[in-house]
Amino acid sequence: MNKRLGTTNIKILVAVFVAIAIAVIALIRLDTTGKKGSGLGKEFTYDLKNLGKIDPNLILYKGSVRAISTGFTNSRAIALDSKGIIYIAGDKVIRKFAEAGNLLGETHVADMPMCLTIANDDKMYIGFKDHVEVYDGQGKPLATWENLGNDAVLTSIAVSNNDVFVADAGNRIVYRFNTTGKLINRIGGKDKDKNIPGFFVPSPHFDLAVGHDGLLRVANPGNHRIEAYTSEGDLEFSWGKFSNVNINSFCGCCNPVNFAILADESFVTCEKGLIRVKIYDRDGSFAGVVAGSKQLTGKAGRICNIPAECQSRAFDVAVDAHDRIFVLDTTKNIVRIFTKIKEE
Amino acid sequence: MIRFVYIIVGMAVLLLSSGIASGFERFPPPDFESGYEQPSPTTPNPRQDIYEYIDAFVLLAVLSLASYLVLRKRRRRLIFVLSILSLFYFGFWREGCVCPIGAIQNVALSIFDSDYAVPITVMIFFLLPLVFTLFFGRIFCAAVCPLGAIQDVVLLRPTSVPEWLESGLRLFAYVYLAAAVLFAATGSAFIICRYDPFISFFRLSGDFNMLILGVCFLFVGMFIGRPYCRFACPYGIIMRQLSRISKWRVAITPDDCIKCRLCEDSCPFGAIRAPTEDWSPQDYNKNKKLLVVLILLLPVLVFSCGWIGFALRPVTSRMHATVRLADGIYLEETGQAQETTDTSSAFRATGKEVQDLYAEALDIQAEFGLGGWIFGGFVGLVIALKLIVLSLRRQRTDYEAGRAGCLACGRCFEYCPKEHTKRKLAKETIDKS
Repeated sequence: MNKRLGTTNIKILVAVFVAIAIAVIALIRLDTTGKKGSGLGKEFTYDLKNLGKIDPNLILYKGSVRAISTGFTNSRAIALDSKGIIYIAGDKVIRKFAEAGNLLGETHVADMPMCLTIANDDKMYIGFKDHVEVYDGQGKPLATWENLGNDAVLTSIAVSNNDVFVADAGNRIVYRFNTTGKLINRIGGKDKDKNIPGFFVPSPHFDLAVGHDGLLRVANPGNHRIEAYTSEGDLEFSWGKFSNVNINSFCGCCNPVNFAILADESFVTCEKGLIRVKIYDRDGSFAGVVAGSKQLTGKAGRICNIPAECQSRAFDVAVDAHDRIFVLDTTKNIVRIFTKIKEE
Repeated sequence: MIRFVYIIVGMAVLLLSSGIASGFERFPPPDFESGYEQPSPTTPNPRQDIYEYIDAFVLLAVLSLASYLVLRKRRRRLIFVLSILSLFYFGFWREGCVCPIGAIQNVALSIFDSDYAVPITVMIFFLLPLVFTLFFGRIFCAAVCPLGAIQDVVLLRPTSVPEWLESGLRLFAYVYLAAAVLFAATGSAFIICRYDPFISFFRLSGDFNMLILGVCFLFVGMFIGRPYCRFACPYGIIMRQLSRISKWRVAITPDDCIKCRLCEDSCPFGAIRAPTEDWSPQDYNKNKKLLVVLILLLPVLVFSCGWIGFALRPVTSRMHATVRLADGIYLEETGQAQETTDTSSAFRATGKEVQDLYAEALDIQAEFGLGGWIFGGFVGLVIALKLIVLSLRRQRTDYEAGRAGCLACGRCFEYCPKEHTKRKLAKETIDKS
């Protein structure tokens, strides 16, 4: 505790100078602005460039030479009617386009539309943040359904016979309405007795579609799978698994963000983060790739750098009667059309 | 030797426990829309209010106890034990934050930024040690500051530092203080916290380079007592000045000094001042002339250092994130940088105009111009005053603890024979009674 001052010898002097030199080097190497990154070794690096690379043999589709420019600044959703007319929602308007890209008409709405679907009778069912509105084929408003509360974030809507299914990412539930807007039942809520784990929806991307077999398909993005429900809410089966490395699985925290069903009951899935559109057969087996990040964005890696940017960049997907795939690029607000070039 | 081994083992354990944790980033990061903000990994979470007030109360209690032990009990062993307790409470338990040293920056920022208010507990942490210093000297350094305590523990073989070198090296602490105020006042950075060499030990985590810096400080501290306190601590600089005018202070002897010289080499911090000799008339005249020259030199030094501070504004202003961003954007816009950065991408995603960013950066640079004048002027003033002090005659008849430099650690008490006599007398009185 008490030491009398000693004389400085040369060894101590050298040791002190060496320590000071090391301290200065440590200070110089200090990265206070984060310019040098995490400083972790290569084993910690998540190299998306490699993950973004897709074997060309897996690509089954070819994109159209010219994309359809929608003129939106914030496009949200795409849907097609039975005649092949393309409907795009965004910027408080629904626009109709012909396949050639010419604008056929538009319907102005009061709020930002989040999702839409076109029924066989050409009625437009548009999902807003917390409610659904129905319009006729000419854009005339027909009905506004009940408000689903402050927590509601409607992200997908589908019509089948007399049922309208609405996905609510905020409440992690699917509502089944009839076509007059009467709530019939809720689907997918956590239920141990029915062996339903519930939906895990970390981000506002929660899609659904009705299969040709009549079963409702709902993406459970946090669990990286697509689940099949009866209209009464019984979970029949599910498929899909997580992997950041294997292309036959869904990557990231929460994928797929959107999907559509082809005529042969196979699925077109769309992933965010590492953007790619893929095909799975009716049983959920990976069949091939429609387009990867390179084909969709021109970059092999991620297209977003900050969480807010990633959040707004979930592409939407739709299919027509000829099994062509329409991908809405919400970054550039364009629609690319993909046509099959080879069999799986 | 055993103590040395303990210290090496302790340092190794600290290093190992601060090692890199293995882990993988899950991509992409979950993007909730609940308004939740990811916590910053560089700043510890604020403590609950009640704990902040408990901390302030503990600070007051420890300062009071330390004053009693230093000035009344005069027992080094007890002071040391108290400093170890402070090391664990204020250092390891409270993870070194808030500390009075870093609070300088909070106060500086609050003065220059009307939108920033200093929390009451931070103000208490800043002011309380200074108030105690005004009354009792550098009690805070003696037994309360965890940075001082951790250096005290490793002081194994203290060696002396020549006074001229000590004074010269201390200039760094003045520059550090001025820089800390400049960067805090401009809202650029809290450099005292950023470069705290011991914070990695207290939090058992941190940048590897900061760990190395801390280890180097402790290593040097094995031979040179409290290098951070003496040559870098900005708070120490403020306390030095207040301690000069403190009402009570540490005295080496409890009685009259008998000039036995036993205490001469007892202070590992070079704070004991020997009695002075009278100057010869030649020395007196020589120093008188020197004093005149130095007083004339004072404004020159203040102005020239101020100008250097002003001229350095393109460099110093880069500490501000907005200026760095503007620089990066400019390089990208002019094609001098090929790739964008996360920061520049984030800026572009906001949709703000680049010209607005440049204008903002220029305003900040202008602030650094004014701040540079003050910063440089202050450093020039310190240099000039240090030179002037050298030419002033000091009159000391006894061995004294230097008013400014004494850290009130109490090591010198044990070396004074008068102290032992007093203690013996006290013991005999107790025994008799």
